[in-house]
Amino acid sequence: MLLAFITPASVLYALFLIAPVTFFLAMGVMRYDAIQLYQPVPTLANFARIILDSYYRDVVVLTLKIAALTTVLTLLVGYPVAYLLARGRTAWRGILMFLVIAPLMTGEIVRTYGWIVVLGSEGLVNRCLLALGVIAHPLQLLNTQTAVVVALVHILLPFMIFPLISSLASQDPDLVRAADTLGAGRIRSFFEVTLPLSRTGMMMGSLLVFTLSAGAVVTPALLGGKDVTMLGQTIYDLVLHTLNWPLASACATILLALQLGFISLQLRANRRALRRG
Amino acid sequence: MLSVEADLPATVTLAAHPSQSVRAGRRLSRHVPGLLLRLVVALVYLFLLGPIVVIVATSFSPTHSMAFPPPGFSFRWYGAFLHSDSFTAAFQFSLELGLCASLIATLIGFLTAYAARRLMTRSGGVVQSLAMLPLLIPHLLISISILLALNFVPLPDFASLLAGHVLICTPFTVAGITASLDGVDAQLETAAMTLGASRLRAMLEVVVPLVAPGVLSAFLFAFVVSFGDVYIALFLAGPGTTTLPIEIFSYVQWQSSPVIAAITTVQIAMIVVLGLVIERLVGLRRIMRV
Repeated sequence: MLLAFITPASVLYALFLIAPVTFFLAMGVMRYDAIQLYQPVPTLANFARIILDSYYRDVVVLTLKIAALTTVLTLLVGYPVAYLLARGRTAWRGILMFLVIAPLMTGEIVRTYGWIVVLGSEGLVNRCLLALGVIAHPLQLLNTQTAVVVALVHILLPFMIFPLISSLASQDPDLVRAADTLGAGRIRSFFEVTLPLSRTGMMMGSLLVFTLSAGAVVTPALLGGKDVTMLGQTIYDLVLHTLNWPLASACATILLALQLGFISLQLRANRRALRRG
Repeated sequence: MLSVEADLPATVTLAAHPSQSVRAGRRLSRHVPGLLLRLVVALVYLFLLGPIVVIVATSFSPTHSMAFPPPGFSFRWYGAFLHSDSFTAAFQFSLELGLCASLIATLIGFLTAYAARRLMTRSGGVVQSLAMLPLLIPHLLISISILLALNFVPLPDFASLLAGHVLICTPFTVAGITASLDGVDAQLETAAMTLGASRLRAMLEVVVPLVAPGVLSAFLFAFVVSFGDVYIALFLAGPGTTTLPIEIFSYVQWQSSPVIAAITTVQIAMIVVLGLVIERLVGLRRIMRV
């Protein structure tokens, strides 16, 4: 009877997730064919092209750069918020928590649009800078890598904050009190007790943010202009415009490989840290 | 925004007596990290909410200008939204799709979460982890893969879009309903079954009423996920099945007008209301598994 309960989910996942994704990824090692989409002939040509063709190589490098930058910045910006929400004795906690979650619910397109308005030549940032006399002419803020990173940090911040809160909240508060008793100051006990113990949260959050930013399409397409082409956009173009499915599939495999590489890097760092202390 | 004053030491004034002033200084320096933290957090919230406030303000602009602050106040762009067939149709379609997808995802999510709770701890954990799979695979890939599969198994546009949305909503319904089921004492169900109720009846008459708020929250959250999705619809939406985010995406790529701000403001208002309802029912934190 209980097994019957998981049948709908199993059927859904098998038919619309596992089977199609496996098939799509398998196309990466098949030969491109303009008429039939692909020929069932095994080849590594698609991967060779991504590595050897400087256009695709640059796309991969840029994707890695933007995803890594976004992850580091979200961690730096998100940590203080998570710390205050998990530890602070502020009466505003419920509202502050709501204000972190609510923007998450509006979706990527709404928030990317918000940045178009904020960063535009007549937008908030340029108006403030002009009014303050910092600049004489509006700055070109849209269609830059900076715009993409800023918007991605904004969009993905909640994904970093939640895991951080749960790992900070699950720490025993007595540990900090003990460090305090033993004479460590607030700052020292933070860096030597709280921060290392929140490693799991940092790992979970970084993983989510890295995955989501590496696969972004809409945000770089709307805010990056000609300057920014990320892996997700390349896959989109290859599928809908160039109709080169095998190459798109190889790009998707590279995207997943970046994700797996990031996970293994983190696991290794975690193991080393555990061994050390 | 933050209650900063509460933490300030009562006596910050520098007294004439040297030892007293040293003590005050020390007390002040002990509070500096806390104050700094609050200041940084206030700035982060400004960053987090700023763009949303700007969208709402721009939607009331009386002119075509996207300037902030807007040069006046009008409902003109809300009128433009209501008179635009393509946007109202997309809005309505997103509502319908979201309702269907979240209804199915909630049903599947409940069955899966229930089975995962009642199965042996180990296999239950496996079921729960597997249910999270759609969150770990970039949605872009899920969408393309379904599009590819349609070459071999032709499905109507709506069905494939619906399947994709159910897929990305299910992890959230499973997680949210599992959290609610955790709060139900398993002995209640055992008691009902001892008293002669079948498992199905015990589930429907004992468990379901107890987790109803959690199930409703999961449903609303799934609706929000479906309504905001761009990636699944990016490949699976076709003529007549264009969702609102896709309509906005294709519009914004080529032109800009405050009408988009008006549409997104309507969406934001709707989401804030749903968020508050979930917050009242079970607390948004439970859904996010914090």
